[in-house]
Amino acid sequence: MKAQKTAAILRVEDLTKRYGSGTAEVAAVKGVSLEVAPGEVVLIMGPSGSGKTTLLSMLGALLRPSEGSIQLNGTVLTALSERDLPRFRLREFGFIFQDFNLLSALSALENVVLVAEMAGVPRKEARLRATEILKELRLDKRLQALPEQLSGGEKQRVAIARALINNPSLILADEPTANLDSSTGHEVSRLLRHIAKEQGKSVLIVSHDTRIQDIADRVLWLEDGEFKEARTLAIDPVCGMSVERTKSPTATWQGQEYFFCSKGCRSEFLLEPHTFIQGEA
Amino acid sequence: MSLAARYLLQNKTRLALSLLGVALALMLILLLDGLVRGMQRQITVYLANTPGSVVATQVGVRNLAADNSLLPPGTEDDIQKIPGVARAIPVLSQSVFFELHDRKIFAYLIGYDPAKGGGPWRLAQGREPRQGREVVVDQTLARLHGIKVGQTVEVGGYRFPVVGLSAGTNSWMTTLVFVRKVELERYLLIPGLTSFVLVEPQPGVSPQILKERINQLSGVTAWLKPELMAADLRIYEGFFQPLRLMRGIAFLVGVLVVGLVIYTATVERQREYGVLKAIGAGNARMYGLVLSQALVMAFLGALLAVLLAYLVAWLIMVLRPQFLVVLEPSAILLALLSGLGMALLSAIAPVWVVARLAPAEVFRR
Ligand SMILES: Nc1ncnc2c1ncn2[C@@H]1O[C@H](COP(=O)(O)OP(=O)(O)O)[C@@H](O)[C@H]1O
Ligand SMILES: [Mg+2]
Repeated sequence: MKAQKTAAILRVEDLTKRYGSGTAEVAAVKGVSLEVAPGEVVLIMGPSGSGKTTLLSMLGALLRPSEGSIQLNGTVLTALSERDLPRFRLREFGFIFQDFNLLSALSALENVVLVAEMAGVPRKEARLRATEILKELRLDKRLQALPEQLSGGEKQRVAIARALINNPSLILADEPTANLDSSTGHEVSRLLRHIAKEQGKSVLIVSHDTRIQDIADRVLWLEDGEFKEARTLAIDPVCGMSVERTKSPTATWQGQEYFFCSKGCRSEFLLEPHTFIQGEA
Repeated sequence: MSLAARYLLQNKTRLALSLLGVALALMLILLLDGLVRGMQRQITVYLANTPGSVVATQVGVRNLAADNSLLPPGTEDDIQKIPGVARAIPVLSQSVFFELHDRKIFAYLIGYDPAKGGGPWRLAQGREPRQGREVVVDQTLARLHGIKVGQTVEVGGYRFPVVGLSAGTNSWMTTLVFVRKVELERYLLIPGLTSFVLVEPQPGVSPQILKERINQLSGVTAWLKPELMAADLRIYEGFFQPLRLMRGIAFLVGVLVVGLVIYTATVERQREYGVLKAIGAGNARMYGLVLSQALVMAFLGALLAVLLAYLVAWLIMVLRPQFLVVLEPSAILLALLSGLGMALLSAIAPVWVVARLAPAEVFRR
């Protein structure tokens, strides 16, 4: 493993994004600052509409911030011209999406090869590299399969291979496990941690999935476009969502306090509490 | 295989149907173009195939196809005396109706002197007229109406025995019939009458200089052959224009076919194109992806169109021999260039769609 650098790989200062203008103006992200170290896995959680996707899009150079700056590996992203952004995304970021977003006309292998070729790697070498990465992700038997022939977990592993092929410094994942069953989701999140730790890549994940908390080095809570001070989150035993202790409906059962995302989940819990907490104990 | 090719092959039915659409549009362009060329070639067939590079007509005549030219008596001899003239070939021409057993046929009678030239340039059968009212008729006309060497054809009660069949002498909406000039003079009751003179310069004498010298003669206008042919073609502009318009419409149909196919395919794939942009494909690559799909489609369509055009042109000329469809190797170039134009124009709308795609949209569902 590389010597741990003390310097952050990603440095975000006072990032703000406003949509619209005048009275219709919405500030989706407000003055967010953040540093991510090499090899660190950061999980950003928060309720729907809190600005997670907006923040991730800005960090991935897909969206220009209204204010603030983003530095990746010393390059000030916000100073790059529109023309230079695609190339920068191609080399410096690996994107992983909720719905995989593989190209339907290309096989698993070609999906990965294409991205290397786009970065200027000769076809032969690109194929070698892609095959190797897909093998490491246990997809050696699925190289020629089209996305429609792959299971959800396989698709997401192909997407991870695609994100890794150009050896980026930062992996950005938006709800990477949301379309996967729980065991596959767990496998994919462990894989992301493995990549961070083995290859020293920073991984930034946006998710509702509380199981990802296990693999994260740090969990940040975004609310109304701002990071709230680290607070302990509770898990709604009914739907599995992470909820804030201070704001959520609660119920006490057998001397233990439980927190819920909504009154609906709470009443469901109260009907048959034991069915929801068996696994926990 | 490239991504563009993969995208095209992803929906094979759509690809096949759109290729057929493009090919039919391009084929129509080729056929209409071939028909115009065929008409033009037929209109100028006599001047293009006879000797001489300068033509002398009656002064004031605007063309040979529609105006009547009658030269002053003795013009042929005057021309022959001009320095630099190798040969002066007098021709008397007259449009007539032939009465065949089944119908009347419009024909252009060429009265020529077999000793001087200006007669049929290719005989398929028989010989040139030697005596009396002997004529040579076009072999296609003969085939269509069952005329054989040894039979006679009739004009206004006169019988003309057919002694030969000529090839390549169909003109536009008429046919050339060759007879001895003296016989045509006799038929028209004006001895020594001449319509025009084909003039061949001596080696090293420029046609332009000869034209200027002949123009000195009174009552005579001299033309370079290409000028006279162009003047003849101008009369038929009215026929060509609608054909050219139809050619333009066929081009637009092709643009719409390619455009619609590529546009719908692009809109369907907006999400994937957005993904490509997000993971780092620049605009140039995106435009290339769309454009190359249009180009491949237009190129394959053009190849298919050339095959179809040759096939249909052959069918037309077998079934209707009086029509001439001229497809030269340049037709392939025309098909490819029209296809290229179609591809470029049809890519405008899809490229616009791709240019507008915001890469951040990939995170939205
Ligand atoms: N393109 C946009 N135009 C206007 N408002 C937007 C746009 N994208 C997001 N928003 C608004 O910004 C806020 C944050 O949205 P988003 O980043 O999608 O949050 P999250 O991913 O946490 O659900 C929401 O109020 C949303 O309505
Ligand atoms: Mg979101």
